[in-house]
Amino acid sequence: MKRLLPIVLLSALLLSGNPINLGKLAKVKKGAKLVAGAAHKINEEEEYYIGRAVAANILGQYPLLRDAGLTRYLNLVGRTLTLRSGRPELYGGYHFAVLDTPEVNAFSAPGGIVLLTRGIVAMAADEDELAAVMAHEIQHVVAKDPLKAIRSQRMKALGTFTAGEAVGSSGGALGILQDSVMDISGTLLQKGYSRSQEKDADLGALKLLAASGYDPKALLDMLKKVQAAEGKKKLKAFSAHPSAARRIDYVGESVAPADPANRLARDARFEKNAASR
Amino acid sequence: MKKKAIMIVLLAAAALLLAGQALVVQVLRSNLMAKPDFLSSSLATLQKGARLELVKAEGGWYLVRNSAGVKGYVHQSAVTESKVTLGSIAPGPKGASEDELALAAKGFDETNEKKLRSGKGYNFADLGWVMEQEAAVAAVAQFIRDGRLK
Repeated sequence: MKRLLPIVLLSALLLSGNPINLGKLAKVKKGAKLVAGAAHKINEEEEYYIGRAVAANILGQYPLLRDAGLTRYLNLVGRTLTLRSGRPELYGGYHFAVLDTPEVNAFSAPGGIVLLTRGIVAMAADEDELAAVMAHEIQHVVAKDPLKAIRSQRMKALGTFTAGEAVGSSGGALGILQDSVMDISGTLLQKGYSRSQEKDADLGALKLLAASGYDPKALLDMLKKVQAAEGKKKLKAFSAHPSAARRIDYVGESVAPADPANRLARDARFEKNAASR
Repeated sequence: MKKKAIMIVLLAAAALLLAGQALVVQVLRSNLMAKPDFLSSSLATLQKGARLELVKAEGGWYLVRNSAGVKGYVHQSAVTESKVTLGSIAPGPKGASEDELALAAKGFDETNEKKLRSGKGYNFADLGWVMEQEAAVAAVAQFIRDGRLK
């Protein structure tokens, strides 16, 4: 794209009907460069490393459930969904795991590390409901919502480093990394995403479920259970999410009917891999 | 008339720039697929930094040729536009160095992660176990078929 910039700019000037002013063109090009260099833009590899740090931070607060069978099953469901998502391939691939807590929650770190609590897995009555929760989290990864939780001042500060300085001994970049991790963890665990981000993730999840062959109505079914659990303080049901009642309204309006017989086809493996845990 | 001629020259220049475009794998691992479908057979594995010759774009996929001459499909999310020319697609002294192709991170990278490991509040040991858990494409394909999924 950068290679095309001069051509695009020149073409735009030509099409505008104005005479070509090379001085003006140079200024426009210089301006474009300055804007591009104002803040650091996170690439796929950096997203991966931020995601690892965020996930390690969450794993520092919640114990991991080292259940290889259940985790393998989650990764099969998750990968089925991600293949039909807007970001099927990520730098380090998608990874799904379970946190050993009765709390009802799920988190997606940047770069595709999705953590579900034992509480939310236990709440799902079948594979489609489990997939519904995972589809919502995958949509956050697709939209890069976790990265958007990083305060813009961090990226502006990082933009002032040269590559050598950033990985050098100054420690400046390390500090920015730590602060960025805290921005994201704070959003995932306490502050929550904006209502519009959550709505987009829900509506995107409906499409993703349908595209993968899962029943989109499973998201509605799951939200009704979350709504019932919201009254129980011990469960801390989706404490950083908007109320389930609000989400039920717009999900209910958007959900398309699916063949319930297909949903039953996945019951046996759900029973074997998830329900019995 | 003069404007039209300039436009033709510019468009021709743009076409020349795009033709013979090289792509580079930007993810740690991917696959060269027989069809533009993740569930088709894998013709070869692709590692980060591998250079590919773009043949044509097809939906969300690219038909490409790898350095061994194998033609297949790679999803667009797995590659990025390479700054190297097609003339340097074969490994050699004139090609871009591994460093140039590394798509190096500026601040969030392995070096800084190592520094974080010694800090409090991070559990990289359990993270290592999580990162080992992933589903192979062949297993996912079987899972999809068994579950009447798409």
